[in-house]
Amino acid sequence: MTQPILALEGLCMNFGGMQALSEVSFAAQAGRITAVIGPNGAGKTTAINCISGIYRPPRGEAYFEGQSMLGLASHQLARRGVTRTFQNLQVFTHMSVLENVMVGLHGVTKREFLWALFRLPGFQAEERQVMEQAREMLEFLDLAEMAALPAGQLAYGDQKRVELARALVSRPRLMLLDEPAAGLNAAETESMARTLRAIRDQGISLLLIEHDMSLVMGISDWVVVLDHGCKIAEGTPAQVQAHPEVICAYLGGAAEAGADA
Amino acid sequence: MTGWNEIAQYTVSGLTTGAIYALVALGFCIIHNATGIVNFAQGDFVSLGGLMMYTFLVALGLPVLLSFPLAVASVALVGALLERLALRPARDKRVVILIFITIGASILMRGVFKQIWGKEALALPSLSGEYPLRLLGATFTPQNLWIVALTLAAIVALGYFFQRTTVGKAMRATAANPRAAVLMGIDTERMKLYSFGLSGFLGALAGVLITPIVTVSYGVGVMLGLKGFAAAVLGGYGSFVGAILGGLALGLLESLGAGLISSTYKDVIAFLVLLIVLFVMPSGLMGRGERSRV
Amino acid sequence: MSGRGRGFFLGLAVLAGLVVAVPFVMPNPYYLNVLNVVALNAIVVIGLNLLIGYAGQISLGHAAFYGLGAYISGIFTGSFGWPPWPTMLFAAVSVGGLAALIGIPILRLKGNYLVMATLGFNLIVNILTVQLDDLTGGPSGYSGIPSLEIFGWVINSDLRFYILVWSAALIALLLARNLVRSRVGRGLRALHGSEVAAAALGVPTERYKVKIFVFSAVLASLAGSLYAHYYGIITPKTFDIFFSVELVTMCIVGGLGSLWGGFLGAAFLTPLPQVLHFVEEYKDIIYGGILVLILVFLPEGLFTRLGRLPWLAGRRSP
Repeated sequence: MTQPILALEGLCMNFGGMQALSEVSFAAQAGRITAVIGPNGAGKTTAINCISGIYRPPRGEAYFEGQSMLGLASHQLARRGVTRTFQNLQVFTHMSVLENVMVGLHGVTKREFLWALFRLPGFQAEERQVMEQAREMLEFLDLAEMAALPAGQLAYGDQKRVELARALVSRPRLMLLDEPAAGLNAAETESMARTLRAIRDQGISLLLIEHDMSLVMGISDWVVVLDHGCKIAEGTPAQVQAHPEVICAYLGGAAEAGADA
Repeated sequence: MTGWNEIAQYTVSGLTTGAIYALVALGFCIIHNATGIVNFAQGDFVSLGGLMMYTFLVALGLPVLLSFPLAVASVALVGALLERLALRPARDKRVVILIFITIGASILMRGVFKQIWGKEALALPSLSGEYPLRLLGATFTPQNLWIVALTLAAIVALGYFFQRTTVGKAMRATAANPRAAVLMGIDTERMKLYSFGLSGFLGALAGVLITPIVTVSYGVGVMLGLKGFAAAVLGGYGSFVGAILGGLALGLLESLGAGLISSTYKDVIAFLVLLIVLFVMPSGLMGRGERSRV
Repeated sequence: MSGRGRGFFLGLAVLAGLVVAVPFVMPNPYYLNVLNVVALNAIVVIGLNLLIGYAGQISLGHAAFYGLGAYISGIFTGSFGWPPWPTMLFAAVSVGGLAALIGIPILRLKGNYLVMATLGFNLIVNILTVQLDDLTGGPSGYSGIPSLEIFGWVINSDLRFYILVWSAALIALLLARNLVRSRVGRGLRALHGSEVAAAALGVPTERYKVKIFVFSAVLASLAGSLYAHYYGIITPKTFDIFFSVELVTMCIVGGLGSLWGGFLGAAFLTPLPQVLHFVEEYKDIIYGGILVLILVFLPEGLFTRLGRLPWLAGRRSP
């Protein structure tokens, strides 16, 4: 087996005595879609927040392409090729859609304050390139017509695509997607699934957290199941669906998940 | 050589001013919890308390037992008016805009105070005599005792109000989660009004109590308000226990710093310690760190 | 994009034209003096607006940076005979360094804590300028600061200073606009919108906050140095927390996140106390009242109202 793009080893996280993650280990292969599923409160978002530098886990390790990634700040991870989207939308509402996506290139561009202030050589060329790449990304995700609108004015589903565009535009090695289909209707979910597959086919590895089972089972190459902060199963979608503990966890949590939806 | 007596003396005066700061800080917290903003007119409630007391007690010659409640109640009313006239109608509810509305209101209020009471410092007699008392090596006046006692009484009353009364509980619910409070049928707009009234009450109490020691004029509230704000921040903004601790800590820090190190630099010492505490504990002594869910 | 870019330069050209025309129309030194203070304040407000309106970080301590710039320039040229221009640079670098030093811990704070910390810093600096009277002249101020000189041209009249300070203000505006419309400007506005999201996209949020804090402090320091050489005398009262509050008020009244707004805020609020001089008695009441009315009814700032004019629409430009 080749080196996984992402590997978690015995990751633990607790909040004031509450164990949110205990000894979680799994790996995501390069060029694949790996999904992390589980009932509400299973620790899925916590896991992503640990990997992406928002939380500092007390124990355990996480490796990105074989190198330890814990302790790196979010912006350093972005520079190394790990970007993410958020469960509760974090679109920059007061900036235009185009600008939102241009920010996505921040980690792969370099002209700082002095260049900007005095328009030093190289500044304009970089700006043009950023603009061009951002516009291409808007085309790819069907957002071109909304480029100049303040992102906060967009419909929910469009804002989700803005977040996706922002995280994708820098051509990361690994994208972490926190519930990309949450709040989307059936048609939008279907189109999101197509988009995610297209992204994977471009060679970008995806780790996604999801509630929507049809999406997960339809597109994932590998599925990891968390419950109460522990990994209870992993395997191909078919294997996981047949796993007795998974069925139990989901039936047990069904009422809660239903009320939440 | 600094003796025990001096330290005891500094402690007494530190606790006295600390109690005043605590009252002001509590006013900041109550408004913050109901509205999310800093009310920079809080200090002006303090000076208005002293000024109103002067009017009722000295100018009109009313008895203390009547003047005191009248002064405090009138400032509570002004607090409520401020909320109703300047903050409720605000078109933009962004915190920074609302804060600067209170700054504008503070300038306006000081202008009005200057018109009514003039620029001169006005003095008030102590609540009961100037006869000095001695305890554990420290000398203090009955006014010191009044300040500490009435501050304690106010804290106990506030505790009762927030824990036991329907309105108090509704105010706490509004602070904890405004949206849920609305869903439970709580009129959160009314709670904002009450919070300004209550803060006016506390500010005026501080003003009535401190004036016999330091006199009052239209602008004294600025520094007292700032100190109260610093105390609230030091304690952990929004926490009542923190406000009280922050107030006492700041009062002691100033008085011991002035007595033992340098009286010229007492404010520098106090604010320097405040900054250092914030660098180490970014949400104050009793504050809960805010973590937004992403 | 290019259309909006032209809008800014058109606005800048109109402003520059006004600046050139004013001395011919109103040669009265009294008016020029008022306009000079407007420009000094505008320079500070431009930097502050980048910090507050764009990066979303509040500071009620910028009068301290203004004052430090003024005192460093004044003392080193006045007491130690340093040449003014290099001293001004020295002041800006020192103030920038200090801003970086305190900015690193201070900008980790949020909301009210940040307000208090910056206020506290201003209070400390202000008390020190009063108390270190051997050096600063104490409460009565420090005097005997020499005038500036450009190739033998001594800047010792209101008109000459007018030319200098308005050039500086226009340059500051241009630089700020360059910053806003760049990768850096987008990064700052992004961290204003959501710090976690900005960081996840590669914006070094902590460092950016400190850098823009330093930049705004350096602008304040330069304005302070100019002030010192213009008046020749400086007093601690000019740089107290009330001036910090006034500066932020200018930002808000003009329109947060609008560089033109900052100019307008400075232009409107700077002369207001003098305009109200004839009603001395009621000055505070009217000033406070106007402030409350504007903030209650025009919270988006004066400029946004004017900004409906199409050619001025450089606000929050993409």
